[in-house]
Amino acid sequence: MSLKELAHPASDYSYAFLDAYAKRELRRRILKGIALPGAQIPYASRELPIARGWGTGGLQATLSLISPHDTVKVIDQGADDSVNAANLRRFITRMSDAKTTTDTLQATLIQSRHRIPEEILTEKQVLILQVPDPEPLRRVQSDMAKSREMHADRDYGQMWLVLYEQLVRFGDYVQGASYPVMVHNRYIMSPSPVPRWDNPKLHQAQHLTILSAGREKRLYAVPPYTNVYPLEFDDVPFRVENQRGWVCVRTGIQNKFMNEIPQADGSSIFEVSDTGYVSKLIQRDANPATGTTYFDDEGSFYHDGYLK
Amino acid sequence: MAYVATKGGEQAIDQSERFYHALKGNVTLEAVQTVLETMPYLVDRVLGEGSLYAPELAALALVQSGGDLYEAVLLLRAYRSTQPRIAYAQPITTERMTTIRRISAAFKDIPGGQILGPSLDYSHRILRTDVLEGGAVEPTPAVDLADQPAPRSYPLVADWERENRLLVQIPRANNPTNPSDIPDVTRDPITMPAPRAHRLQALARAETGGVLALGYAGMRGYGFTHPTVNELRLAYADLEMVHPISGEPFGVGRFRMSQAEIISSGGGGGVGYKLGYTATMGWNEVKLIAGATLDMEMNQAEPHPAHTEDFVLYHTESVEASGFCIHFKLPHYVTFASGMDSIRKVIQAEYPASKEGYTSPEPSESTKMVTA
Repeated sequence: MSLKELAHPASDYSYAFLDAYAKRELRRRILKGIALPGAQIPYASRELPIARGWGTGGLQATLSLISPHDTVKVIDQGADDSVNAANLRRFITRMSDAKTTTDTLQATLIQSRHRIPEEILTEKQVLILQVPDPEPLRRVQSDMAKSREMHADRDYGQMWLVLYEQLVRFGDYVQGASYPVMVHNRYIMSPSPVPRWDNPKLHQAQHLTILSAGREKRLYAVPPYTNVYPLEFDDVPFRVENQRGWVCVRTGIQNKFMNEIPQADGSSIFEVSDTGYVSKLIQRDANPATGTTYFDDEGSFYHDGYLK
Repeated sequence: MAYVATKGGEQAIDQSERFYHALKGNVTLEAVQTVLETMPYLVDRVLGEGSLYAPELAALALVQSGGDLYEAVLLLRAYRSTQPRIAYAQPITTERMTTIRRISAAFKDIPGGQILGPSLDYSHRILRTDVLEGGAVEPTPAVDLADQPAPRSYPLVADWERENRLLVQIPRANNPTNPSDIPDVTRDPITMPAPRAHRLQALARAETGGVLALGYAGMRGYGFTHPTVNELRLAYADLEMVHPISGEPFGVGRFRMSQAEIISSGGGGGVGYKLGYTATMGWNEVKLIAGATLDMEMNQAEPHPAHTEDFVLYHTESVEASGFCIHFKLPHYVTFASGMDSIRKVIQAEYPASKEGYTSPEPSESTKMVTA
């Protein structure tokens, strides 16, 4: 046996790009985030060969957790074949030799921008959401030193005031994506800009969710089986997007989150946003396994009574 | 290589990248050397913002990106983050730098003298169009050598001011700080208020245009400070390290660095003058003067909102700002759809009469009452 055989083969970069110090820091911050559900944990956030704001936070979390035995799914707006998802997937596999998949059920790590897949994730899976703005209080306090104090004091009155003002002006909540949630009855958290359709999926989930903002240098987590509730008044319930009656032109199904595609004649057609799920439904002949979905075919959420 | 499950996306981005490179020159050693020799100030700007003193790599980044400054800085930063931190250099003191330009606007003359050094400040900005004619071009005459070589180093103007009780004396540290104890903005999470080390490091690698815009706003009247340039220096600094076994210092190289102090009595509480400071790798005078002004603005008890530490440091970060700006090119149709759902709901409530959608000019009576 020679020294050469014992040593790692020489390479230009560390495994999964990040050096050991960066990975150690990230893993420690992730553990801290899991211990404090919903709390924003600052981290150094290394520069990656991908532009800031293009998923570098999610990428750092993925790279700090990945091994060659993992199977990775990367999606952007629900789509596996979006150019940015393709680029991130290309980088992750180039640096880690992990396998990739478009099938949610096969993935051990799922890095996503703005969507949570439709099929229910399990305890064996980790969802990593890319986050542009980790601070749910930014709209009421742009100074990060002050918003940090507000979180420490659980000083969330202004967030309720925002909702109240929306009710007074518009008769309903008018928040689109990134609807703020209360995690473990302690921290208000921005669920990354996922549509409201995906917010309930974080509640008492079987899987771990890590949310990481590379540019803003903050990460946070929702551990499995954690309470996650949207901010809502008792008498005005939070609602997911109303897509009742929308039928997917590719699969014919309803009650999954849809993309609306404008048509030249002024009308719209719809397609299911989760392309991995769609491709399995289309290949019915090959009989790919499809999992149970968070919302059933009638649009009922799998935790009874969660959506009022 | 692992199986990659994709459809059209990967091929598209591959072709797009090829197209970009097809519209600019090849990445060659010759091109890199040309940039290095003919554009040292551009190289300085990129390596300063990239916070990696590697002129060859900065020139390579410029050639590789076709001169897109933000891309070049990102290339350098991404490379930098793969490099291990193997040791810390010894501190560099102003007195020991080989200074080749050093001016003070605060006094007519200063101990050691005003040293003009290399500068375009007093040049006529006339394009040399004759070069484009292709004829014989007169080379710029060489610099006349002085009879006596200038001294390598000069005293600090601020030292004279401290002796004359215009500036507060700085206590001389008996135990110099252990370099590994100095906060490092590239390795630590940043929180506000930032340690002074983070602030100066952030300014050193800040984007020149961003620092100029915010600094200029302060100079023009949205701030407290009239920045009198106390001292501006362009220098070569010798980098020294301590041998891990013998404990002897030894030189490991020389690099271009520059620094500026501005002096002002404005604001900030207390009497007397205060200094604002910025230093950077490479020579970049505009950034230094604007940065030193911002340093002082950030020290004010109640700075202008655009001059708080939070505002300045976050918004002059080249890689983050440019990255976020261009990320808006990415598809946002899911978030847009989610917002559209809410807006449709509101339009439906405000204009219930119109079945076709948003055509009624006036909100309904019920909504008027709610909003009144």
